[in-house]
Order: sequence, then C-alpha cells, then structure tokens
Amino acid sequence: MMTRILAVLPFYGGSLPVGRHCARALRDIGCLVEVFEAPEFYGAFQALKGLKVNGGRLEFLENSYLNLVGEAVLAQVERFQPDLVLALAQAPLSRKTLKRLKHDGVPTAMWFVEDYRLFAYWRAFAPFYDLFAVIQKEPFLGELAAQGVENALYLPMAALPELYRPLRGGANCQAGECGPADALSPAERRDFGADLSFMGAGYPNRRLAFRELGRELAGRDFRIWGTEWEGEPLLEPHLRMKGVRITPEQSVRIFNAAKINLNLHSSVKAEETVSRGDFVNPRTFEVAACGAFQLVDERLLLPEMFEPDELATFSSLDDLKAKVDYYLAHPAERAALAARGRARVLREHTYQARLRRLLDFAAERLPGWPRSRQAAPWPAGLPESLTSELEALAEKLQLPRLGWGPAGGTGFDTLIAALRQHSGRLSGLESALLFLDEWKKQYIK
Amino acid sequence: MPEKPPDFLIVQLARIGDLIQTKRLLLSLEREGRVHLALDAGLAELAGLVFPRAVLHPIRAHAGGRNPAEVLAVNAGAFAGLAEMNFKAIYNLNRNPLALALAGMFPPESVVGYRLEQGQALSSTWCKMAGRWSGAGRRLSSPLNLTDFWAWFHPDPLAPTLVNPAARAKNVVETTPGKGGQRLGVVLAGREPRRSLPPEYLARVVEALFAARKGPEILLLGSRDEQAGARKLSKYLDGRVLQKVRDLSGKTSLPDFYEVVGSLDLMLTPDTGGMHLAAHLGVPVVAFFLSSALAWETGPYGLGHTVWQSVRRGCSPCLETEPCPYKTACLPPFAAPGWLTVLSGRAGAALPGGDPALLGLESCFDDIGVDYRVFLGEASALPQARRCQKRRLLREFLRRPGQPGKSGGPAGIDEAVINEVISEADWMLREY
Repeated sequence: MMTRILAVLPFYGGSLPVGRHCARALRDIGCLVEVFEAPEFYGAFQALKGLKVNGGRLEFLENSYLNLVGEAVLAQVERFQPDLVLALAQAPLSRKTLKRLKHDGVPTAMWFVEDYRLFAYWRAFAPFYDLFAVIQKEPFLGELAAQGVENALYLPMAALPELYRPLRGGANCQAGECGPADALSPAERRDFGADLSFMGAGYPNRRLAFRELGRELAGRDFRIWGTEWEGEPLLEPHLRMKGVRITPEQSVRIFNAAKINLNLHSSVKAEETVSRGDFVNPRTFEVAACGAFQLVDERLLLPEMFEPDELATFSSLDDLKAKVDYYLAHPAERAALAARGRARVLREHTYQARLRRLLDFAAERLPGWPRSRQAAPWPAGLPESLTSELEALAEKLQLPRLGWGPAGGTGFDTLIAALRQHSGRLSGLESALLFLDEWKKQYIK
Repeated sequence: MPEKPPDFLIVQLARIGDLIQTKRLLLSLEREGRVHLALDAGLAELAGLVFPRAVLHPIRAHAGGRNPAEVLAVNAGAFAGLAEMNFKAIYNLNRNPLALALAGMFPPESVVGYRLEQGQALSSTWCKMAGRWSGAGRRLSSPLNLTDFWAWFHPDPLAPTLVNPAARAKNVVETTPGKGGQRLGVVLAGREPRRSLPPEYLARVVEALFAARKGPEILLLGSRDEQAGARKLSKYLDGRVLQKVRDLSGKTSLPDFYEVVGSLDLMLTPDTGGMHLAAHLGVPVVAFFLSSALAWETGPYGLGHTVWQSVRRGCSPCLETEPCPYKTACLPPFAAPGWLTVLSGRAGAALPGGDPALLGLESCFDDIGVDYRVFLGEASALPQARRCQKRRLLREFLRRPGQPGKSGGPAGIDEAVINEVISEADWMLREY
C-alpha cells in the first residue's frame, strides 16, 4: 500500500514553496499525497484586519477563524486517512488540532525550516508533534530534548531538481546538461542576466553589505531581485522588477542567467554582514541544482554538505569582492564548480532524499508506522479489455502498475484515493470506479 | 433542418416508489426534449411500462448479484455510453453517493440538484431548503410532496393535475352481498416493517373493506419476502373473506405486478412503491400511514385517494433503524372500532383522537402540487397553520403566490417558520 501523506501548507511565506516541493517529492518517492491549501483560506483571514475593530475583538475573530481552519484540516484528515500529517513551519495547526490528531492516532510531523533563534515560538508547539525536523543541530537539538521533544531530526534544506534545473543558454551552462525545451530566450538573457546577481529579501545585514558592494563594484552589472528593499536609494539602481516577490520559476531563470549568484545568508543584526551562522539556506541548494555558479558565505554546517571544489565560499566582504573579480575573470572555473555542485545536490540534497529520510525516521521512531492497511483486492474476473483500461488509468494517475495478486502494485483503494484527488471531469470508467467504491461500502461489508 | 430537441438525463437510482415519484419532473422535461433515465437495472422493465417514451439506462446499483467485477464491467459500459451523450441538463435527484459518483462525470454546471464538483458533493439551494423544512422535528409541518419537490427542479413543471389520472374504480360495487364484482389489492408490506400493519390488524381492515365493497375479490400482493406475511394474514381472516382471497405474493414479476395493479378497483396499502404505481394507473388507493410515513411527504399523487394517517406528536424523528421507545404508539389507532366502522362504510363513527390521533386525509391540488385535506378526525393534531405558512413561503419562492387568503389582506409569516425554510447562506452565497 502507498503511504498516505497530508501536507499542510502555511498561509504564505518562505515555507510555502518548501511545502509544495515536499508534496511533489513525496509523490516522486511513491507516496499518495494530498495537500491542505492554507493559502486559499488566507484571503478571508486578511479581510478581518480590514474591519478596524479593537485589538481584543480582532484577536477573537482571528482565533475563531484559525479554529475553523483547524477543523477543515481535521475534516480532510478524516476523509483521506493519512499515515502522516506533514506540516511546514507556520502551518495552521493549533495545539487543539494537534491534540485531536494525537487522540485519533494520526501521526504528525513538522519540518521547521526556520532559524530557531529568530522564531522562538517553537517551544509552544514542538512537543505536540510526533516528529520534529529542523535545519539546525546543537544547541537546538538539545533544547528540543529539554522541552520534551523526543523525536527531533536534523533535516537540512534541499532543492527540487525538477524545478531547479540548468537552462540552455545560461551563463555557466554545460553542454548536454539541459533539454531542448529548457532554454533561456535572448530576451530572458537580457532581462535576467548579470555579472553579479542577488535574489532574496532585504534583511539588515544584506542592505549594509550591498551598499558597500555597490560602491566597490561600480561599473559591474550588479542586480538585486526580491522584496523588502524599500528605503535604499543607493541600491535603487540595482533593484529589478520594482522589488516584487519572485516566483520559483523566475528564480530559476535568474540563477541560470547570472555569471555569479551572490548568496548571503540573512541576519537581523546589521553589523553581522557575514554572520557565520549554522544552517544552510535553500538558495544554496537551488542555485547549485541549476548548475549555476554561486558565491556563498561560510556556514558552520556547509562543509559537511559540500566539498570546497563543489562550492565557492567567502568569509568576509573583502573576500567576496576579491572572489567576484577572480571568478568573473575565470569562466571555466565557474562552470567546473557549478557542475560539481549540481552533481552533489543530485546525489544527496534533493527533496526526495530529505523526505525519504523523514519517512525512514518515522518508521524508526513511531511503533508500527506506517500502519498496515487491509488492501482491498481488485475484483476477480474482470474482462481483459477492462483491465487494460485500468492499467492505462493507473499510468495516467502516475501510479505504479496495478497489483492484481495479493502482494504489491496499486490496489483498488489506492486507485480510488488517487481518483478522488483528480480534478476535472471524470470519464465513464472513472465514474464507474467511484460508483463501485460506494457500492462496495453499501453491499460488501 | 429543424433543430434537434435536447436530451435530458434524470438520475434516479432509488427504489420503485421513488422512481414513480419522478414522474412529474420527467413529464415536464418530455415537453421540451428527449428524456433519458439512469435507473437501477432491476427496475428497467417496469420503468419501460411507466415511462414508455423515456430512454432507459440501466445501472447495476441495487438489484442483481454481489459480484464487484460484474458491477464494474456492466457499469463501465453504461457510464461510457452516458458520457458520450450531450445532455442539455442532468437532473440528479438524490444525495446518495452512488448517484453522485454517476453525476460526477458530467460538467458540474449542467447538473441540477445534487452534484459532484472537484470531488466535493454539493447541493442546490432548493435541495438544501428541503433538508431544512423536512429536518428532524419538523416533518409534521413538511410542506411539499416528494414528487413535487423533484418536479420543481424544473422552473415551470407540468401542472399537477396532468401527472396522474384521477383515480376511479373500474367496476361498480355490486349491491348484492357476496357478488362482489370488484377487485381489491392488498399490499402486504413496505420496505420498513414498522410502517406496515401487523397481520392481525390488517385482517380487520380487509374485513371492513370487504364488507363495505360487498365482497370483492381480494388479491394479496407482495414479493417473495412477503409470502410468510400472506400466510399469517390468511390465518386471521374470516372464512367468508378467505374464500375470495388469491395470494399472488412472490408470484408476479414486475411487469405482471404492473398489469395486476392496473386491474384493481382499489388498493389497500402502506406507503409502498405499489401505492405509487396504483396512483400512476389511476387506481384508487386507501393507504395507512404510520411510523415515519407521512402523507404530505410521500402520499399517493393525484385525486381520488385516501390516506389514514396516524399522528403522534413528539416522536419525530421516527428512527426505524432502532427499536421504537414508545412501543409503536402510533399503531393502536388502526385497531380502533370507530375507524373500522368508518372503513366498513357505516356513518356516524368517530376516529380516535388525542395523541396519537388518526386522521382521514383526501388528496387535493393547489398550484404547486398535491396536498392532503383532513376530512375526518381532529385536524388540530397537525400543525396545520405552520405547514400552510411553509407552503406559502415555498409558493413565493417558486413564484406561484396563489390566491390571497380569505381576509384578502397581506399577512406575515412567522419568523420561526421562515428560519425552518430559509438559511442565511441562501441569500449570501452563490447557488452551489
């Protein structure tokens, strides 16, 4: 039986694409996945703020709405019967909802893809999850244990190679790496290309660093993409697309088109331009997965993920400036590093690998997980013409071949669950299958 | 080239009674185009007789064996055939998951009633309203018959008077005792046993009608499951009556049953599919309704029918799946001597009143459908005023305001009644 996962997305924010990548990767590794689309509930939540009522009243309304959203998650759980509810940081799972899930025997996991020092609220909910995956090691893992979190897992960020991929015509693209359909158009090369490019939000340390960099790199083509860059007249000439939020697909183009992608981890402390923190951000893996070149600030956990010949790092702003000059002058070295970095990501740092690890961890730590389901067999004696139609349907739904015998393959229940997720108009056969499922509930006990 | 008339599909996978109660909607659509009917395969032969112009699409839903492979193989073919049709509209009459699965293969915007949209079951405002007006504790004032509820899926259904012929006996009652001349059908049981009279009760009723009709031939009707009931009934019947009894239980196919019912002068029945068939054929019905059966919800459609309704306040909802906590208190009125006297045609008797009360109802029409008027018994046993207000509200909703009241002036409707029919969401949200 396929393991069923319900991925609960946050309303918005940086962990939203992470959640979508998780869902995609879980499907790739053979899980049956449903997604709780919290962003679709966010509009109504925002509307409450437009009421301009007093703070207490607003808080009451917001909490009431969050309760409703929690009930919606529970309803989806009740129908889908997942083996695991996977929440991303900031997912709308209240403690009340988590308690209900525990009471109902539904295991929960959170991938807390945040810096625990900045998001200290983790203490309020971490103990309510059965599994708690984090992107930092000590002292966070010790803090979690002290807070009563038994099953904490270090699970660093990753890239989704199907999205973050090399594009033909990219500044560091290797021949033969990219398919004919995946190319940067001349217009895209013009719009997204740069000597030095940065994609991300305007955190205080980045503002300070880039102001200095902008002065030093006068004459270089330095471009900044992303949000929260307001109030920086010195950086204004470098900012592209008026500081709007960049979509993942746009970021693939930006990474590919730049000769050098600057990757400076965020810090709320302006004076720490290069903060030497521990966790490694998603951009590190994404740029590398694109086969693009990056200069990334040194991080405590980076060396165990990439060898020095797989990724170019810098330790200070002076070091950065020197390396920008060096690598702009040595395109072959850029390309070689980028290629090795991409190979490492594909070997070890994909979402598929991370989620496989998470599921293995669940199996290690949660007794009897995943629980075995009574696989409903396919009805015996189906005509051959129908079995071939069913095989074609399984293929269309991206399911493994049908399992006609007692072991393995897609069973009746799995096909039905996949069919229920399917959007759009049902065919005659699909309707007949759903009909049979209901018929069995009514007549075959 | 004249334009080809549109095709409509009605999805009605329920049992025989519901199938026949689809008639007003089906006839309404037949005025505009060709009507297809997706129905349980076990009812196809009968449906061919009841709806001769409809194109039937038998589905393996309830009847037949319990072989899933066969169900899938047969239905996959039938569904594929339906999917190829270009229906102008699909009328899905039930929220049943089977019907929803079938409706799921059509564009949701073309499905009227209960639809499946992106895997989510959705009900029209009209269907949601019906759920409210006939909800728990509200059924005694439920305002609309099921036939009319479905008919109003259409914005301008066929006039109720044109649905079934007015009921009348085919043969006159012989005045000479023992000569009979008439044929009385006795339906032994409905699907829910608590809705039927036990044999010892039924025997007295049959004898009373036997006397009133001067000794007609009596046909016992039912499926094979009712054969034991027929034998029990016979044990309780008076010898003179028994001589005129012919037990057809378990001996008729559905087409045979159709023919037999058509030959009757009167049918005595609980709330059954046979009752609706009799109404369809214009055979007068004398029905006894108790337990969860309510005349104004599923009574015989058309003029010339009588329903004896037992009403016990405080029972609603009557859950037939559980033992009755009141020892089926709605049953004893059917053994009351006064009622048996009325049935046997002697005037001057009184019906049992109080709680439970027995009411004599006769079918009638207004501009939205069939209704039932109390002709005997304590009308006060029913929340008539509430029911009238609900029906008035529905009339407004259906743009059939009807005649003004006797006073002629405008009258308000109680807030509680409005709340039982209309919900905030009806005016705040889009249909579906």
